[in-house]
Amino acid sequence: MLIVLALVAVPSWVGAQAGDAGAGKAVYERRCAGCHGDKGDGKGPAAELLSPRPRDFTTGIYKIRTTANKVPSDQDLFRTITEGMAGTSMPSWAVLPERDRWNLVAYIKTFAAEKFKEAPKKLELPKEVASSAESIKRGKEMFEAIECHKCHGAEGRADGPSRAELKDEWGYPIAPANLTKWWNFRGGSSRADIATRLANGILGTPMPTFLDSVEKPDDIWHLTNYILSLGPESPQYATLVTVTAVSDAIPDDPNAALWTKLVANRISLMGQVIVDPRNFNPAIDLVSVRAAYNDREIAFHLTWDDPTQSVDEPAKKLYTDAIALQFPPQIAAGTERPYFLMGDASDAVYLLRWESGKGVMEATANGPTKIVAIAGAEATGKAVYANGQYRLVIKRPLVSKDPTRPTFRPAVFTPVAFQAWDGGAGETGPRMSLTSWYYLRLEEPQSNRRFVIPPVVAILTVAVMLLVVRAANKRA
Amino acid sequence: MRKAIGAFLAIALVAGVAVVAHRPGPAGAQGGGTIEAAVTYAGAPMVEKLKVNKDTEKCGTEAVIEKVVVGANKGLANAVVSVPGAKGAAKAVKATVDQHGCKFVPHVTAMTPGELELKNSDDILHNIHTYSTANPSINKAQPKFKKVMTEKLEKPEIVKLTCDVHSWMLGWVAVMPNPFFGVTDANGSAKIENVPPGKYTLEAWHETLGKQTKDVEVKAGQTTKVAIEMKK
Repeated sequence: MLIVLALVAVPSWVGAQAGDAGAGKAVYERRCAGCHGDKGDGKGPAAELLSPRPRDFTTGIYKIRTTANKVPSDQDLFRTITEGMAGTSMPSWAVLPERDRWNLVAYIKTFAAEKFKEAPKKLELPKEVASSAESIKRGKEMFEAIECHKCHGAEGRADGPSRAELKDEWGYPIAPANLTKWWNFRGGSSRADIATRLANGILGTPMPTFLDSVEKPDDIWHLTNYILSLGPESPQYATLVTVTAVSDAIPDDPNAALWTKLVANRISLMGQVIVDPRNFNPAIDLVSVRAAYNDREIAFHLTWDDPTQSVDEPAKKLYTDAIALQFPPQIAAGTERPYFLMGDASDAVYLLRWESGKGVMEATANGPTKIVAIAGAEATGKAVYANGQYRLVIKRPLVSKDPTRPTFRPAVFTPVAFQAWDGGAGETGPRMSLTSWYYLRLEEPQSNRRFVIPPVVAILTVAVMLLVVRAANKRA
Repeated sequence: MRKAIGAFLAIALVAGVAVVAHRPGPAGAQGGGTIEAAVTYAGAPMVEKLKVNKDTEKCGTEAVIEKVVVGANKGLANAVVSVPGAKGAAKAVKATVDQHGCKFVPHVTAMTPGELELKNSDDILHNIHTYSTANPSINKAQPKFKKVMTEKLEKPEIVKLTCDVHSWMLGWVAVMPNPFFGVTDANGSAKIENVPPGKYTLEAWHETLGKQTKDVEVKAGQTTKVAIEMKK
């Protein structure tokens, strides 16, 4: 029993294996050099395209450490290789045999051998404090007192006033983390991971250490609990967008009470990397869709994070922010749909598009650069922007008068796709984030029949039973 | 008995004087000389201005980044003048840098290896982010309630101070191997006292204009005036 306990109690980093740097070199050259460079200086052929840039191993500066000093442990490096860096171009290399990954750890260390002469010292965190309403409240107080919002924004959406000024130690612009999306946190999103990042900072970036810069050591955990309370417990990506039937008028105001009552369908977006110019570092990775319809119109409520509200300034590589819903012009039976990337020469798509400063338009597209506005547009919309987030309502009549735009019908699986542009991040034209086709379904209207039919059935059943009983009694 | 004490005191005194005499450049002693350096720059001052988008009640609405400050008679401010070759007492010179008005005050400070005191008198968050090679880099948050932090800079080198919250904030800490240094004032002058007599190479360093050197001879009890012109 004791042996078992001892095994369990051994911290994971003691399990580190000594790798063979020579064997690691071969793996490195095949798998890593493309981004990190042959010399480990972070200047591989693909580096130019990536943001954040690949790590320069020659400096020995590593973002993710569980150590109190500047050197990461072997286990830290192994974990980063194994799990990748969420929200960046660094993928998980769990596909490689474990032996190869330990060999890589050994080889990567040779790029900054001097730095690794120092033995890593484990960071001791204050005693863990479980999450509770009280702890979250204290965390919020501390969040405000230590001014996390300066970079991370008042509600944690990476829209703080210092955002635009931030640079890493190599002089490249670097974005603060959006604290409402824990699944993108570099170095993991467990409570211990978050507390470690807070205590230890993220080396080479503007994120400083806070272990000695909070009022009480416990505050590290209160902050952790508060940060985890900022986002949803799970992203719960939707596969089908349900449009709720309502009998009343649908509000234009994105902050109206109706929208909070509807289920948010979270849709994940990817960078467009099929046609030039490609978008390897998409800024918008999630849009929450709520939708409702009544007997006259259909309305879409879209929520997405964008840390900057931008206008067209092409000289500075800044463009308007935009979002679009895409449908086939006609909803045909069967599975045939136009090309998901905004249609092609033969099959057009219909777009409901909103752009900052311009409002809503209806358009026909035959590809990402061939968008033509539809004359006599009937769609309207209203957007609000606050604390790094857009909320938008787009409305349109249910029934279309011409063949360029679809008519929405209940209970029909309607193809839908989404595209989004963060103009502040230089996204415009084909440089966008997008989805492939999803389905939208208008829930069947709930008629009054459901209140009539069951009682009628019940009454008839009772009547039949009474008849049966009477007949039986007569015979007797 | 009294004689014995007298003799002991006499020996102690002589020994003490001997020890003092053996220490080159004792503090306040007549044995050392003084260097008065006049650092000049013939070029124009370099000042960058930036609109401030936050904390304006503390930082003001415009940040002024002074890359080259030239005073009267072309005197260059914020240059570190030092005598690297002088062998001196291990007299520690501590330094204090305040973060005041979203500026590092003083802009350039010099110290001997040891502790640096960092103050935050702004009542807002700053983060001390240092750029160094010999000393471990520091990136520590200093929230409003943390008025003073003490950090160690134990190896001689010039350390850059920045703040990521207010990206225009820039300061320099020159960690010098010996206590024979000075930072030029608004008129470009700096005084180095108690330098052990000898022939040295005087060094002047400026954040934008780099380094210049000049040979100098220091004589006991005398003041040596040196003019150094910085060039781009």
